[in-house]
Amino acid sequence: MAAFGSFALLLALVLCAYNLLAGTIALRQLSTGAAGRISPERLAETARRAGISSFIAVSAAAAALLYSVFTNNFSIAYILHHSNRALPGPYKFAALWSGQEGSLLLWAWLLAGYGFVLRLRHKVDVRLTAYASTILAAIQVFFLLLLNFTALPFAIAPGEIAGDGFGLNPLLQYPEMVIHPPMLYLGYVGFSVPFAFALGALMMRYPGEKWIHITRRWTMVTWIFLTCGVVLGMHWAYAVLGWGGYWGWDPVENASLMPWLTGTAFLHSVMMQEKRGMMKNWNVWLIFSTFMLSILGTLLTRSGIVSSVHAFAQSSIGNWFVGFLVITLIVCTFTFVLQRDHLKTEHKLESLVSRESSFLFNNLVLLAACFTVLWGTLFPVLSEYVQGSKVTVGAPFYNRVAVPIGLFLLFLTGVGPLLAWRSSSFKSIRKNFIAPLVAGVVTAIILTLFGVHFWQDEGSFYSLVCFSLAALVTTAIGSEFVRGAAVIQRHTGQNILASMVQLTRRNTRRYGGYLVHFGIVVMFVGLAGSAFNRSVEKELGFGQSMDLGPYHLVCQSFTQETNANYDTEYSLMDVYRNGKKQFQLAPEKRFYQASQQTQTMVANHSTPLWDLYLVYEGKNPETGLPIIKAFLNPLVMWIWIGVAIVVFGTAVALMPNLTATLASQRNRPDTLAASAEVEAPALRGGD
Amino acid sequence: MSTLACGVLLLALFGYIFWPERHVEAQTKKTRLDFLEERRDVVFDNLRDLNFEYHAGKYPEEDYAAQRASLENEAAEIVAEIDTFRLA
Repeated sequence: MAAFGSFALLLALVLCAYNLLAGTIALRQLSTGAAGRISPERLAETARRAGISSFIAVSAAAAALLYSVFTNNFSIAYILHHSNRALPGPYKFAALWSGQEGSLLLWAWLLAGYGFVLRLRHKVDVRLTAYASTILAAIQVFFLLLLNFTALPFAIAPGEIAGDGFGLNPLLQYPEMVIHPPMLYLGYVGFSVPFAFALGALMMRYPGEKWIHITRRWTMVTWIFLTCGVVLGMHWAYAVLGWGGYWGWDPVENASLMPWLTGTAFLHSVMMQEKRGMMKNWNVWLIFSTFMLSILGTLLTRSGIVSSVHAFAQSSIGNWFVGFLVITLIVCTFTFVLQRDHLKTEHKLESLVSRESSFLFNNLVLLAACFTVLWGTLFPVLSEYVQGSKVTVGAPFYNRVAVPIGLFLLFLTGVGPLLAWRSSSFKSIRKNFIAPLVAGVVTAIILTLFGVHFWQDEGSFYSLVCFSLAALVTTAIGSEFVRGAAVIQRHTGQNILASMVQLTRRNTRRYGGYLVHFGIVVMFVGLAGSAFNRSVEKELGFGQSMDLGPYHLVCQSFTQETNANYDTEYSLMDVYRNGKKQFQLAPEKRFYQASQQTQTMVANHSTPLWDLYLVYEGKNPETGLPIIKAFLNPLVMWIWIGVAIVVFGTAVALMPNLTATLASQRNRPDTLAASAEVEAPALRGGD
Repeated sequence: MSTLACGVLLLALFGYIFWPERHVEAQTKKTRLDFLEERRDVVFDNLRDLNFEYHAGKYPEEDYAAQRASLENEAAEIVAEIDTFRLA
């Protein structure tokens, strides 16, 4: 199987190299009109097919590695170091991306998968897709070079074949780890597609903005995968690391956040290019940066150049990635300089109070956040290079900048949709802003009366601002739905809820986007709860207790158990509220035999109001009694609910509009005569 | 077994890539007319959106009139250029 896997990877490299070479020659011949022995169209077609075939070859390699892990083939060094016989099935699957070589194979496989779909759908614009396919092949070649010459997933372990493997890192033996890395990688890798289209469109001086329309769904799908990947990482950190939080500004967390920030900025600013032909230079650099930040993210996660609880590999492939980043930057800069006259804006910003300016501010704020995170993440590396000693940047640095930036973004989320394109008059602002402002102010007053005193500390102040802005934005979004639904209601006579559904189906992109904004608001509410976190730590023997918030925790017992994969120590904690037993929690600590590593398993009881989060810290060596740390974390559940709403909103935004569906049905010969419906332009739902 | 699998994979993929195809998609260059037609559709969409937001009570009459006039001018310029191309 190792020989087959290695061969499949080598074959994939040859196919991608052919795609790159033949694709480049064909595109050159087509643009210069030069003739070759084979027609350029035919040559381009073989290049496209080679790209499609590369997916089959990389899939064969991935299947070979999976087969090897499930059959405990410890002759392969990668399997020996990342699996063992007692490892449960789903974690054997996760072993595919738990190490350097496997995760690079996953990158290459996902990239080939995206390329496969792109190349199959080439009829959408044959020439532009040929450019994108060739650029994508260049990226594939880089990853396949790594897999064939530096990080070999099928390398044979020296010496005799071991009877059992060294096991999977215990931190990775958690259900989310089966889906978190693929999600994150789907996000990272996915940005290659809009990048390839943007670079291709610039190279060929593609007239118009249709490339944005073609890549819109790609970008949104990629963005939602990255969002889910980042949030699953947060949830994993919360559930596994046992420090009571979900975001520690760890370099690898930051690495996933940076492309998310620029990708989010891109998703907003391309709307200006689509609708008004503005910000073309900006958008091109946004997607270039997003792609490069994705590569940087992979470099940070996989090279070990920064210390992180999320980095599970250390190697020398960093130089390869740095080289690739430099080449990418040179190609992008060269193409931009050569073709910059093609990116002339068609309109100028007419007013500072307009939808365009809100997008511009949104972009500037997102980029400021990205720069802050980039600076903080790379500062230890730079300080070590300049001074010889590593100076790390802690959470207070990020929080000082990121919290106000986040709140300003939240404010823009509410304000932007209420502003008109081009310019908004004072009358229009007054008309649209009164209700949201009243909601925000009333919320602030109510919360102050209920004890959230902004003058107490910084956390309370920011939380109060966050809750008030959440009310403002929710009202703004709600008013958009109600106003639009009222128009539908006037024309159709449906009730307001049915009209809202109809409205959303008629302009899925706009109203799906609003749902995404609402999901973000809900997430912010969850994040704001962290200002009121409480914790208590105590040594608890049988029958002993401690109090936290409304809960009374009693240690019912503590014990040890053993199974094939790990030994475990845990406490059984009865949780009482108002004198009544509510539920039982069992925080534990595991010792994994294969890897000889310990791992905390948090016990968490989550409610919409707060999480009761228990950590088994270990036993006091003097008394032999377990030490339990309990956290009461308010509103955490709303972060996960918010993400679910974001996913739903994105799914809605990805659906075709009802009018477009009806139009395509009407245009079908069999329905053309039967259809008598005439759409009123005003009923479309806006954009 | 591995050698056989490698051979099958190699032959199948090379066969797929170089198998003579009768119909190959032509790589046409996008014209100025294509671009103008796309732009026209976008401006019409913008007009529809403006109408909708006006009906939803989002804009005062005077803002609506000014923006509509501006978009209609833009659309008229594009349509005129399309007509010029078509006549030529």
